[in-house]
Amino acid sequence: MKISENWLREWTNPNWDTITLSEELSLAGLEVDGIEPVAGAFTGVVVGHVLSVEKHPDADKLNITQVDVGEASPVQIVCGAKNVIAGMKACCAKVGAKLPGDFKIKKAKLRGVPSNGMLCGASELGLPDDGVDGLLVLPADAPVGMDIREYLDLDDTIIDVDLTPNRADCFSVIGLARDVHAVSGVALTPPFKDKKMAGTAECPQSVEVQDAQACPKYLGCVVTDFDTSATTPAWMVQKLQRSGVRSLGLVVDITNYVLLELGQPMHAFDLNTLKGAVQVRKAKSSEKLVTLDEKERVLSDDTLVIADDSGVIALAGIMGGLSTSVTPETTKIFFECAHFSRLAITGKARKYGLHTDSSMRFERGVDPMLPERALDRALFLFTEIAGGIISQISSSISETHLPTPVPIELRSETITKRLGVEVSKEQVQQIFERLGFDIKENESGWSLTAPSYRFDMSIEMDLIEEVGRIFGYNNLPETPVHAPMTLNTLPESEQSLLALKMALVQRGYNEVITYSFVEESKQKLLEPTQPYVLLKKPISDDMKAMRTNLFSGLLQSVAYNQNRQQPRVRLFESGLVFYKNDSEPTGATQVPMLGGVITGNASASGWDAVERAVDFFDLKGDVETLIRMSHQQESIRFDECEHPALHPGQSASIMKDGEEVGIMGQLHPSLVKPIGVSGKVYVFQICQDALMTMQVPSAKAISKFPEVQRDLAFLVDEGLAVQALVDSIVAVESDILKSVELFDVYRGEGVEASQKSIALTLKIQHQDRTLQDDEVDTLISEVLVLAKQAVNAELR
Amino acid sequence: MQEQLQTIILQVQDAVKSVLDLAKLDEIRVQYLGKKGELTSMMKMLGKLSSEERPKAGLLINEAKQMVQGILNAKKKELDDAKLAKQLAEERIDVTLPGRDVDLGGLHPVTRTLNRIETLFSKAGFNVEKGPEIEDDWHNFEALNIPKTHPARAMHDTFYINENTVLRTHTSGVQIRTMENKKPPLRIIAPGRVYRCDSDQTHTPMFHQVEGLIIEKNASFAQLRALLIEFLRQFFEDDNLKTRFRPSYFPFTEPSAEVDIATDLFGDGRWIEVLGCGMVHPKVLTNVGIDPDEYTGLAFGLGVERLAMLRYNVKDLRQFFENDLRFLQQFK
Repeated sequence: MKISENWLREWTNPNWDTITLSEELSLAGLEVDGIEPVAGAFTGVVVGHVLSVEKHPDADKLNITQVDVGEASPVQIVCGAKNVIAGMKACCAKVGAKLPGDFKIKKAKLRGVPSNGMLCGASELGLPDDGVDGLLVLPADAPVGMDIREYLDLDDTIIDVDLTPNRADCFSVIGLARDVHAVSGVALTPPFKDKKMAGTAECPQSVEVQDAQACPKYLGCVVTDFDTSATTPAWMVQKLQRSGVRSLGLVVDITNYVLLELGQPMHAFDLNTLKGAVQVRKAKSSEKLVTLDEKERVLSDDTLVIADDSGVIALAGIMGGLSTSVTPETTKIFFECAHFSRLAITGKARKYGLHTDSSMRFERGVDPMLPERALDRALFLFTEIAGGIISQISSSISETHLPTPVPIELRSETITKRLGVEVSKEQVQQIFERLGFDIKENESGWSLTAPSYRFDMSIEMDLIEEVGRIFGYNNLPETPVHAPMTLNTLPESEQSLLALKMALVQRGYNEVITYSFVEESKQKLLEPTQPYVLLKKPISDDMKAMRTNLFSGLLQSVAYNQNRQQPRVRLFESGLVFYKNDSEPTGATQVPMLGGVITGNASASGWDAVERAVDFFDLKGDVETLIRMSHQQESIRFDECEHPALHPGQSASIMKDGEEVGIMGQLHPSLVKPIGVSGKVYVFQICQDALMTMQVPSAKAISKFPEVQRDLAFLVDEGLAVQALVDSIVAVESDILKSVELFDVYRGEGVEASQKSIALTLKIQHQDRTLQDDEVDTLISEVLVLAKQAVNAELR
Repeated sequence: MQEQLQTIILQVQDAVKSVLDLAKLDEIRVQYLGKKGELTSMMKMLGKLSSEERPKAGLLINEAKQMVQGILNAKKKELDDAKLAKQLAEERIDVTLPGRDVDLGGLHPVTRTLNRIETLFSKAGFNVEKGPEIEDDWHNFEALNIPKTHPARAMHDTFYINENTVLRTHTSGVQIRTMENKKPPLRIIAPGRVYRCDSDQTHTPMFHQVEGLIIEKNASFAQLRALLIEFLRQFFEDDNLKTRFRPSYFPFTEPSAEVDIATDLFGDGRWIEVLGCGMVHPKVLTNVGIDPDEYTGLAFGLGVERLAMLRYNVKDLRQFFENDLRFLQQFK
């Protein structure tokens, strides 16, 4: 909310400069978002009366004016503005004046004609754009010669306060003033005296509230016989403007003024357009209303409306209808001043896309005791300016539906306990006096009743917050937390994600963080059959689907970097992926994943190494490092697999105990272009859970007896996976077979084209004694039989 | 005989001068000291001398042998030294060439910041808790005292999946999940991704938060102040960091505050908002079955990107999610 500093100071005027005032507001919980002077820095500009305008003899677009600036004789000024006319009042910078931007006004000659000053437009004075091309036109009664800064009250600042939802009471000048008073102790000085306004004649407009819960208070008053030519006084226009509200005619201006001043939204109807009683009710389904912004709204039956016999005439608390609105021809006005309950209005503005100053206030709550005062204020202002005859107040009030302030107990002991400081009795009492509470002292502390505008007060902690707030959060001590010294758990069987990440970092990977929502079409390319979760209203179409893998983000990052001359890319990411699953309470299985991507050269620095592009086994080495770090090499294996995102001949499932916990492989060549990357790209992802349990090592005795090593070369079918051969050998289940390690895969001379040679080293050792040759031989022959049986492997 | 020995020594001295390798040197050794070498032969002749002459002659020959051996040894050392010197010269390399297989990536600055926060708090006994990112209305809103009609719902530009399911707008839901499952006293932090439907220069639709929670008997606002001021000073490594607590509003805390910092390190000493905090609202405690008269809660929420930007001088929030290597590699 924007408000003029001077306006606020009319209500309470602490001896603080603008900066201090705004800081104090912030420290009271009314955060000041910005302060801005209403005009640029200038001097020497006064109200000028343009006495005459003559064409410049040598310039079509210039005029020669004689301007009375309140001095002995008028000054001659050559002026180029289109809207200059004789008789107007305008801002006149005299010789010697300084305009914003340190622009000095001097005597000059324009096309040979002397000019002693300058007539100014709004922008030249650093004032907000008034939409006029030319001079800033001043009212006819502007006193000639008066300093413009004084006349337009330009030594003012606009304070922009960002209010939290609980402080609805501060959505007005009076509200801010109340808190400034509470903080500073400087008296509140309302610039007007409340005056009861009611006529003698019966109100010709009757009111029927059909939903008293939604509208516990509805006041109306008719004004007739007023001066229809009356306009909004300059001081009011200016205050409205400084709050960012445009002047729209006297009646609307007055309702807006009261809204800003006191915080009460109001509405005015043209009485002559109303048919029958004004009703407050819920809309009927599909009822229509053309609102003031000339848009037709189709209403739903949960919307509170104002209606008459012709149908809906206003969206209660949000916006009026066009057909009943006040126009320059209006001769009889029906002022509405009502209290709508928060719940009746909440969400409706959003629903109809109609956030107004009024809806914003009603959604957060308005003081239920305010309508009487606000209506009086509006009627007073209106009749002061335009005269007229006021009717009696037509009202519908349901006391049972109005909130009644309930006393809240505040224990002084709780203040000390919760805030951690002892606040003296006197101080507490002073705080609540200034905040307008009704105070009753009792044994344990106080019984406090909040003023009607502080409906955010309901429990003891609310009061304690008020004590803290006014006492000053920054005046509270800093007391370290005292808690028993216990050691945190340190489960050694839990792998740390950070350690895995660091392993990848040491292998040249950079961590990325990509959005969890991705482009639907790309996700479909990568995983066409995996059901995914969609956002109802995404930021943009390419952030619509919750990711079901880490690949989309990783590949997008690859593309981003490849497009910026970074051919060698190694990236990883950790985060959740989301599988649509209606049996989960949230509709999705959310799985923490760790994934990576590599492309470009295998080696980072090339002066010595043979340049070679990365391949499957570079990536597999990285993945196996992670697996070994978590001691999972025994339980994890890689199986050939098919995945729509991956090259069918270069893709593997990462299996743990028979379950797929990850996949890796080359990005399918047909996806390279659609995904937007280039070259061969290798990706992996693995469930973090599969890597998170480690074994706490338990050392075994080292055998003192010699180890026998046997190298065996097998001829197998070209298509056979090495793992299958190794599995067939391990199947011998011998205690003395310590390890089987691959040391060569050979194709070519001496081996048939349909075959390959696989060379393995078997390490054989007994724990307790030296092995006899025949024991080893027996084992080897068993192994050979198994290998032959299982995978048709022949010793080469 | 003395003359003869003298001659031999001169001959050896002369012979080694032109020797260039060990083989040649060995030939000389054999010629004089070998089994049939000249000095060996002379030794053998000793028997022919009289017993009076023999010791003296033997002494002379031995002296001569030692001298010859000395000459040979010196030459051998000279040759060895030369050989080593040659090898060393040949093996000279340019030590300024880069080492092999230097390939170091880096953690994302957000992770780096998260680690720093987690480390600071875990040293003070906080446990790290995680929660789902697709969250139900109860954990993200209702339990946190934000019912459907609450105006604070408007503060959260929420990504809805359906009426009852959202992308979590804060990690505060983890508070609820933890309190539902564990008994107080509690000391946790909950780091993670959060989502708000907002995207411009200073907002990204996804960002990171660390939520902190203490549930103790008699926890006070003064303690919250001490904890957070200490944290901020440690995080920024600035003992002179200025802080201020501003009253604010969160439906799940009461009292609530926002914390600003000011430092000469960055931001020209202006106040910069860095976190929100407060005492857990009694309703929230009741919602998870904790008696608010017995326990009080302190809670805070840190914006990780904001802290990372200040700490690492990052000017544009969006850089965190562009994942440009030229940006990321600055955080090795």
